[in-house]
Amino acid sequence: MTTLKVIEVNSIIKTYKSEGLETNVLKGISIAIDEGDYVSIIGPSGSGKSTLMTILGCLGQATSGTYLLDKEEVGQFSDRELSRIRNEKIGFVFQAFHLLPGVSAFDNVMIPLIYCSKTPKDAKERVERALIRVGLEHRMNHTPGQLSGGEQQRVTIARSLINDPKIILADEPTGNLDSKNGIEIMATFDNLNEEGRTIIIITHDSVVSEHARRILTLRDGQIASDRINENFKKPRAGFSRVATQ
Amino acid sequence: MRISRNLVQAFRGLRLNKGNTFLMTLGIMIGIASLTVIVAIGEGTKSKVLSRIASLGFGPESFSVYSGAGRLFFGRNRNVTSMTLQDADDIRAMPEVAIVVPRQRKRMRIINKKEFTSTRVYGVSPEWQPARQWKVVDGTFFNDMDMERKRKVIVLGATPAYNLFGEKDPIGKKIRVGQVFFEVIGLLKKKGLTESGYDPDNRALIPLTTSMSRLFRQAHLHSMKVVSIHPEMVQKTMEGVTQILRRNHGLSSLADDDFRFVTPEGIMQWVTESEQALNRMLFLVSTVSLLVGGVVIMNILLVSIRERIREIGVRRCFGARRSDITQQFLFESILVSLLGGLMGAILGWTLSTALRHFDFLPVKITLDPFLLAFIFSMIVGLIFGIYPARKAALLSPDETIR
Repeated sequence: MTTLKVIEVNSIIKTYKSEGLETNVLKGISIAIDEGDYVSIIGPSGSGKSTLMTILGCLGQATSGTYLLDKEEVGQFSDRELSRIRNEKIGFVFQAFHLLPGVSAFDNVMIPLIYCSKTPKDAKERVERALIRVGLEHRMNHTPGQLSGGEQQRVTIARSLINDPKIILADEPTGNLDSKNGIEIMATFDNLNEEGRTIIIITHDSVVSEHARRILTLRDGQIASDRINENFKKPRAGFSRVATQ
Repeated sequence: MRISRNLVQAFRGLRLNKGNTFLMTLGIMIGIASLTVIVAIGEGTKSKVLSRIASLGFGPESFSVYSGAGRLFFGRNRNVTSMTLQDADDIRAMPEVAIVVPRQRKRMRIINKKEFTSTRVYGVSPEWQPARQWKVVDGTFFNDMDMERKRKVIVLGATPAYNLFGEKDPIGKKIRVGQVFFEVIGLLKKKGLTESGYDPDNRALIPLTTSMSRLFRQAHLHSMKVVSIHPEMVQKTMEGVTQILRRNHGLSSLADDDFRFVTPEGIMQWVTESEQALNRMLFLVSTVSLLVGGVVIMNILLVSIRERIREIGVRRCFGARRSDITQQFLFESILVSLLGGLMGAILGWTLSTALRHFDFLPVKITLDPFLLAFIFSMIVGLIFGIYPARKAALLSPDETIR
């Protein structure tokens, strides 16, 4: 079976310079991720997980190495083109949600649509569909302050889905949630993957990483292990695949 | 399309950060309010001066000579006693001169039984009436006989007549000026208040001889009005008058004049000059106040960007370009300035109206400062918004999201 590689990273090095001191955060990382795969990147703090995520998410550029996203060489892109890539191809989910305070769930989900050319009517329908998809149709006009942590994270998932991206990039998506909400959120990701979406979850929680088909372990800026999860899609004790439809 | 969406986001940003929005508005509001009030006062003062000139009754062929050095109405020394009736007679003898009206003047209290009022009392010659061409509506003006006999007769302006007699006919009544009783023989036609509130009707006229010997008890003149035979002769007449007065007052060739001319041209020139000075001051004040407002906006926007760094990060993550962030913050700055400008204009208008209502200062409300306020506040918003907006846009997305 030949599957399309949605992400191909080759010998990525990232070096931060501050006050003349150079810190090598990523020391030559090469990864290839298939379209529709479910990958978790795990590692202790300081291992370079977040830096890798900013590079994969086109939020920052590597010091050296190549990065092909959907067959496009990202390293050559201008800020304007990177903005387009982030808008069209990547959906972000953050640990701290990063919803705009005081703005309704509906308008928060709308944000990616501000920066692409969609007609207002089409945009409204898309937002409604995305919120229904995460089970928040009754909370559309609530502001983040009026929503629970789990609901807020579902709003961020709806926001990440709104432009139908190739990849969902989640950074510690359950980090700020209690276990019940965490399970629900992970179930949502499982469902999204079943629908064929590529999901990359960055975490230091082994329970979360066990949801993925492939588990990459990062240590000191290098890939320490890359294994296929044998328990993938097996029913897990205490976990239920809640349909969020 | 993208621009209009960024504009909508700017509106939302302002609505969500009400505290900062209010503080930013305040700076511009105060600047614009002070600008509009100052302009209104400036315009009011100007129109007051202009209407005052009009009420002085200058024709193109006439001018006044005031006793004492100085400029126009502003004498340097109030106690100059050098101008006399002899001067008036010598000037009258000049071939270019048609009429000379010598004048004495004092503000005095005039009394009718229990009613009293304060007014400007002028001692003038009977030529005053043809020189000013001011009609007498009731009774008569005093004549040469009254002058010669130093009669205690008085012609009232409309204001003191009303203050002392109300609607009753004052002709033939006795009134007291200082300690001297006068008979009212005439009533001047009412001219009415000028736009700025100067009252030309607030005057009373008595024969010059009477004022010299019976009321003011002084021989020197306050001023003279000179009417030339032709408007083109005014310059030549003034030169002749200068020669006569310098000779009569025994001034050496090194000494300064001890009199001054008040001419329509002189007044116009003075008004133009003071208007220019006022405009320069206005420009300075408004520039400084708007600069302050602009700096306030810039500072608060810079702080606001620190506070809203997450928002910027989220927008960048989901596809906002640098130009989108720049536009949003620039729009916020311009909108806040326009809002401040609008509120400032309303405040300024209210203050100006209040000043006029309470007759505190001469005020004239015109449209210009409000149009200027609109343009100025927009420019200020644009200029002082650029730096913070660019700064926000240049933040790297991965730093803003952490």
